[in-house]
Amino acid sequence: MQDAVLAMLAKEPSHGYDLRTRLRQSLGPLGESMNPGQIYVTLARLEKAGLVVCERADGLPERPERKVYALTPAGQQRVAAWLTEVGWPKPDLAEFHLKLVAAAAARLADPMQLVAAQRRELLRRLREAQHAALAEPAGSAAALLLEGVVLRLQADLRWLDACERAWSKVDDESEGA
Amino acid sequence: MNVSSAVVRAHGLVKQHGRGQGRVRAVDDVDLEVPEGQMLAVMGPSGCGKSTLLHLLGGLERPSDGEVWLAGQRIDTLGERALARLRRRSVGFVFQAFHLVEELSAAENVELPALLAGRSPREARRRAHSLLERVGLDARARHLPSQLSGGQRQRVAIARALVNDPLVVMADEPTGNLDTAATLDALRIFEDLRAAGQTLVIVTHDERVAATADRLVSMRDGMFVDDTRLAGTGTGWLGGLIGPED
Amino acid sequence: MGPIVLTVRLVLADVRRHKAQAAMLLLAVTVATATMALGLSLRGVSDALYEQTRAATAGPDVVALSGDSGPAVTSALASLADAPEVIAHHGPYRIVYAELTTRDSISSPVVVQGFAETPGAVNRPLVTSGRWVRSGGTVLERGFATALGVGVGDRVTVAGRSYPVVGIAVTAATSIYPWAAQIGPGGGPSDYSGLAWMTRSDARTLASSHDLPVTSALDLKLRDPAATEAFLDAHRASTVTNFRSWRFTAEQDMVILRDSQPILVVGSWLLGFLAVTGVAALAAGRAVEQTRRAGLLKAVGATPGLIATVLLTEYLALALAGDALGLVIARLTVPIIASPTASRIGDAAGPGGATVAAATVLAVAVGVLSTLRPTLRAMRTATVTALTATAHQPRHRPWLTALSALLPTPLLLGLRLTARRPGRAVLQACSTATTVIAIVALLTLYAQPERGYGLGGSSALPNLRDVHDRRLLLAITVLLIALAVVNTITLTWTTAMEARANMAIARALGATPGQISAGLSVAQLLPGLPGAVIGVPLGVGLLSLFSAGNPAEPPSSWLIGAVLATLLATAALTALPARLAARLPVAQTLNAETA
Repeated sequence: MQDAVLAMLAKEPSHGYDLRTRLRQSLGPLGESMNPGQIYVTLARLEKAGLVVCERADGLPERPERKVYALTPAGQQRVAAWLTEVGWPKPDLAEFHLKLVAAAAARLADPMQLVAAQRRELLRRLREAQHAALAEPAGSAAALLLEGVVLRLQADLRWLDACERAWSKVDDESEGA
Repeated sequence: MNVSSAVVRAHGLVKQHGRGQGRVRAVDDVDLEVPEGQMLAVMGPSGCGKSTLLHLLGGLERPSDGEVWLAGQRIDTLGERALARLRRRSVGFVFQAFHLVEELSAAENVELPALLAGRSPREARRRAHSLLERVGLDARARHLPSQLSGGQRQRVAIARALVNDPLVVMADEPTGNLDTAATLDALRIFEDLRAAGQTLVIVTHDERVAATADRLVSMRDGMFVDDTRLAGTGTGWLGGLIGPED
Repeated sequence: MGPIVLTVRLVLADVRRHKAQAAMLLLAVTVATATMALGLSLRGVSDALYEQTRAATAGPDVVALSGDSGPAVTSALASLADAPEVIAHHGPYRIVYAELTTRDSISSPVVVQGFAETPGAVNRPLVTSGRWVRSGGTVLERGFATALGVGVGDRVTVAGRSYPVVGIAVTAATSIYPWAAQIGPGGGPSDYSGLAWMTRSDARTLASSHDLPVTSALDLKLRDPAATEAFLDAHRASTVTNFRSWRFTAEQDMVILRDSQPILVVGSWLLGFLAVTGVAALAAGRAVEQTRRAGLLKAVGATPGLIATVLLTEYLALALAGDALGLVIARLTVPIIASPTASRIGDAAGPGGATVAAATVLAVAVGVLSTLRPTLRAMRTATVTALTATAHQPRHRPWLTALSALLPTPLLLGLRLTARRPGRAVLQACSTATTVIAIVALLTLYAQPERGYGLGGSSALPNLRDVHDRRLLLAITVLLIALAVVNTITLTWTTAMEARANMAIARALGATPGQISAGLSVAQLLPGLPGAVIGVPLGVGLLSLFSAGNPAEPPSSWLIGAVLATLLATAALTALPARLAARLPVAQTLNAETA
């Protein structure tokens, strides 16, 4: 989140309120749980780290107390470094996979039922993401983000199908033996 | 359960193809009730019998065994003619391959079921135009299917399915031939229909289509293996994706 | 060599795959060429039979006839025999005009010729059964005897006196039955008459006992038969004498076939036309497959020339096979068709070179015309397009679609189906029109007043020429109707198969099987209606081209009946394929279209 806020300041110095609005627009429903103060907490931390500076703007009569944040040279370097990073969130499938293996080995639970339960959960999430995507106006930045969420969930659901096929085969073989 | 509230009901439904050794049970002892206003998705891999199930529920095919009820009327015992009349008024079909009549314009395609149902040409035209407007294609009413994109064709097909105010819309892989944008357009229309209280049965292998439904039935080898209620179980999970720092 | 083997192999494979189509083309061409060959062979066969009879009976080159009798006439005739060109003669002999009645009470005018008991050098009638005349017995001309149903040993009554029939014979000196009289009493017109021979004295007795009209005749053999006309010109001044040259008699034989020839030739055109429509309908139904096959061949490197060769070879080979078969059939049936009376003997020669050529041209025309469109299309279509070919896309017809929306469902479906394939509608209209033309011709022929060969026009002895014509036209009409029936069924089925997807959609949308099959029938009836209506004036017009004088027109109720019957028959014929097509399972058809 810190990197994103820094990058948003690279265009021009901004008010904290503007930054929050732009973030909400880009994130859509994903940004709903951000509380209003969160952006200021982030900015305060960045200021403390010497990556941004805060200037008091010429107070408008109706918004007297607004501050304008701008990048420091160190902040600019940090943005440049962030943009060249090629990191990617890890697909976190290993845990569920191990859960299935362990459950089957110790006969703690039926892997098929675990898969089914997991699928139901993912489908509910997919439904939520899909409805949110449908609610977005065409061409919004948030819609694109939601599309990504939907596609990942779809990929996960297909992996669950693969799990189901594999484990049902294991079931059949053990029954046959 | 209250029988009268179920628009579609099936009991012990079986459909066999072939005979003897080569006999395949495409649908194998299925029970189902779809209450009015529900959007039901039937999901499963290709060949699991979901399309056959849809054809049985919509009266396009007859079951080998079991009962099918539509709006309180048992239909598996009806003759071809009675089934046709029933489809005319009560069922709107949407197909993966669209199945539009190629030499008829969009509006003429939408009018066709209305004319078959004995509506006047004027009334049929009025309905066609209002439905094409609803699916956002009023400007293309005079286009031939060959002049429309896949997504537009499917929207014409959906409009056609709705022209006789059917009790239930049955869609067979409606997004199977569509790209992502067109799929979203189609899903938006289904969502509008759902919101308007239209009963829908959608057969699909596309998770995102299935996920928009109120209820999801999973099919394997002609049987139901799961029946999940998706509606009203919102978790607020999306908002949690980007939580407070640390 | 390679391309030829490939062509043959491809042609054989295609014929094997489409047996019904190949059989239909073969049959249609066979029927059409057989009919045409028959029509064109009639004159040659008639001439050949005359020639053989003439050779077998020492037929005279000239028969001199006098409308009177008596010593003066006899001597005038006899003087002709002294002419320097004459090398042999027979007569003069008596011709007595009488009435003959059989035991079955069939009466006919008869001319009795008084002949010597020992035949002379010229005009020796060939006895085909029994024996030659003797005192008190009569010999009947074979055509006459056959019409009367009389044989050797029967008795006939001539001018009130009973005679045993002692023999049956043929002669080339007179025209075939019923034109044996050649000249009437006093040189006037003659009735339809049969011919009988008696001994000279019997003939004289017959004439004198009842005071019957008598004329005289003299048969002449010339030194140079080719100079017959010159001889006639030199002696025409003689007013007491009429001459019949052998050529005239041979020509007279053709009178009985006067209408048969146009019936057969025009009939063969119509049959050929129906063959083209029928085979074109089948070919059109296969157009997609054919185009795809051509595309496949192109894709593996075949030249457009080879593709055209394969397509054309198949149709031409079948057409030529049909041609050969038709010529054989014509050869086998021509004696019956070309000789409706039994007055001539001999074998019919095979169809002449010109006839074979004409029939072959017809066969080739049918083969080429019925495959021209698919061949050209297959050649022109680009390879890739051809491989992915779907049926030729019907045109959008907003006006017709809007019009059909006003109609009840079967008409709505029918009109739209007709509009999908206008070419096929034209084929159906042509097919119907052709059928109606034939029916109109048949009705007109049956509407003609019938004048039998019996006494006073009695039909106890049927008019052989009319009977023959009616039989021929009936046969042609039956063949035409059979082809039209096949065409209608084919057109309905191809229409149904091509519109299969649309019909399945309509059924999914709630059209009943009954509405679908009614729609398919309507789709054939719509073009059939104008076809049937146009067929009436076309049939009348065609007849007026070929019929002499003013033929009686059939009552208009017959014509209206024919049109209605044709349409009813069309509706009935379309019903079966339409019902079958309407009962194809919807879901499977829709699935198949997706694949």
